[in-house]
Amino acid sequence: MARIIVDTNKLVKVYGKDIKNEVLHGISLKIEEGEFVSIIGPSGSGKSTLLNILAALDRPTSGRVNVNGQEIDKMDDKQLALFRNSNMGFVFQFHHLLPEFTALENVMIPNWIAKGSPSDEVKQRAIKLLDLVGLKEYEDNLATQLSGGQKQRVAIARSLMNNPPILFADEPTGNLDTESTDKVYKLLRNINKELGTTFIIVTHDKDIANRTDRVIEIVDGNIKRDFFI
Amino acid sequence: MWFEFKVAVRFLKSGKTQTLLILLGITIGVMVQVFLGSLIQGLQKSLVNQTVGNAPHITIIPQEKGPENLISPRGEEGFRIITFDSNRGGIGRWRSLEEYLKKVDGIKAVSPTIDGSAFALRGQKSLSVIIRGVDINAADQIYDISDRIEAGDPTLGGNNILIGNELAKELNLSVGDNLNINTSMGIDDNFIIAGIFDLRSKDLNKSWIIISRDRAQTLFDLPDQVSNIELQIKDVFTANDIANIIMSENTNINAESWQKNNQQLLTALRSQGSSSLIIQIFVIIAVTLGIASVLAVSVLQKSRQIGILKAMGITSSRVGLIFLIQGGILGTIGSIIGTAGGIGLSQLFVNLVRDEMGNPLFPIDIDIAFILISISIAILAGMIAALIPARNSAKLNPVEVINNG
Ligand SMILES: Nc1ncnc2c1ncn2[C@@H]1O[C@H](COP(=O)(O)OP(=O)(O)OP(=O)(O)O)[C@@H](O)[C@H]1O
Ligand SMILES: [Mg+2]
Repeated sequence: MARIIVDTNKLVKVYGKDIKNEVLHGISLKIEEGEFVSIIGPSGSGKSTLLNILAALDRPTSGRVNVNGQEIDKMDDKQLALFRNSNMGFVFQFHHLLPEFTALENVMIPNWIAKGSPSDEVKQRAIKLLDLVGLKEYEDNLATQLSGGQKQRVAIARSLMNNPPILFADEPTGNLDTESTDKVYKLLRNINKELGTTFIIVTHDKDIANRTDRVIEIVDGNIKRDFFI
Repeated sequence: MWFEFKVAVRFLKSGKTQTLLILLGITIGVMVQVFLGSLIQGLQKSLVNQTVGNAPHITIIPQEKGPENLISPRGEEGFRIITFDSNRGGIGRWRSLEEYLKKVDGIKAVSPTIDGSAFALRGQKSLSVIIRGVDINAADQIYDISDRIEAGDPTLGGNNILIGNELAKELNLSVGDNLNINTSMGIDDNFIIAGIFDLRSKDLNKSWIIISRDRAQTLFDLPDQVSNIELQIKDVFTANDIANIIMSENTNINAESWQKNNQQLLTALRSQGSSSLIIQIFVIIAVTLGIASVLAVSVLQKSRQIGILKAMGITSSRVGLIFLIQGGILGTIGSIIGTAGGIGLSQLFVNLVRDEMGNPLFPIDIDIAFILISISIAILAGMIAALIPARNSAKLNPVEVINNG
């Protein structure tokens, strides 16, 4: 049996100070290394909230979260930031590239944050990653000079830069047409197979969900169903 | 640091209009600063220079002995002459005093002098003059006499004398002529005019007669004495301090500093200095506020980028550093251009604003230390201005940015 890479216990998230709004009501789940998981559910059910907590971007109100062997619910902001940089890859719906930098530079940024200085080795690796997502010719384009699908693929290349064991994606294809969606899905699948990276993907897209290995359905802040395909 | 610097530069480049506007603001601020500072320092220096540039800064005189000495004991009946020298008696040990003074820190010229009043007689005319017995080399260090000779040579010795051009005009004298001098003690002698000087003061040009110290000693019957010792010092504003040191280390003499006799000028300089300081402080405040407001807007504009960087694991303090660096870069570039502009403006001013003779009104003083201070203040102001935006940026939560696209 593979190692457990995500392990939560009675995860609760409450928003608001005066008017409390409990969004997650005690989520407990385990995900193994190398899994390709999708999280589905109606709008407002708490998918993004859960993903952000798992991705060390946010802290639970109560409950325990262990990611890649670390109790991240007990970390302060600075520890979380360092943990994200070395353990997590992110792909978001709104691709979120830095418009002031080129495609290649955007890919290198996670490494620059970690190392604080550039190196030729890193550049070679970034070019390889751009090649992997099929955008090698676009390396010198500013982020603003790319199409939506291209931006999302650059964001995927960037998320892989620091060799993270886990990659989180929140509706990575939400803004893309069917053709681009298919391309991005195949890319993620490929990376999962080649590098053994664990994938946790929030999606509205039934087709995509059906092509993952495991589907976790969240309704009203609870896990309604959790099944393997 | 490298990464923060890179991001800071990219952010500045991406908001070109903003960056240029803010740079213009800093540039103008520093320019005004440097121009105003140089102008006022130049003005002050020239005022001080006009006052004491060619005058003693400290004069050593013998200590007054009492009122009876104010009247010349050798004066003739009913002919009381009060002068500022012979009434006191001289300084007897002036040679050792001279050696001592030459070793005092900060003193650059020492000129032991014999002063005496006399009448210059020519034909029917008789003019009251002041005989100044000096060593010409020492006196030159204060009065620049040799460089200010209009006719003849500044050679003293024997019965050679130097007179001012005003006196020469009044008595219709030229180089080589004889002049009869009658001292207040009734001694009468003939002198030869070796040179005619212009000390740029009508008073001095009319009343001074320069003669060698040895000759003056015999003329006034003051063997081995001088009436006073005139000093110039390196920093004129230390005159009081140096005078006090001299007095504490020597007895029976008084050291009078120019500062004592020019209180009004000094007060004027001081108030001018503080008003320019106030102007400069307000310029700095205005520049700082300008940088702060533009950077605050920039934090809002870049909040998406900051959120992305944070999601990727940059710590809040490093995000803050990005904005501090922006402030520093703006301050540095702005102040360098501003300094160049300020110096340029000063030169322009010197070249354009002239008196009726076509000479600059006064030299502008470009003081490196002052400029370096202005630059550092601008850079510091830039960084201080960036502090609040930097703090705001650090507070930004990446989740909000990610959810809102
Ligand atoms: N920062 C926040 N402050 C307060 N309430 C929030 C915050 N973020 C989310 N919520 C609330 O929590 C609930 C779950 O939001 P979440 O974004 O997790 O839903 P979701 O399942 O991702 O929805 P969607 O499919 O529309 O993205 C919603 O009711 C939302 O209004
Ligand atoms: Mg969501």
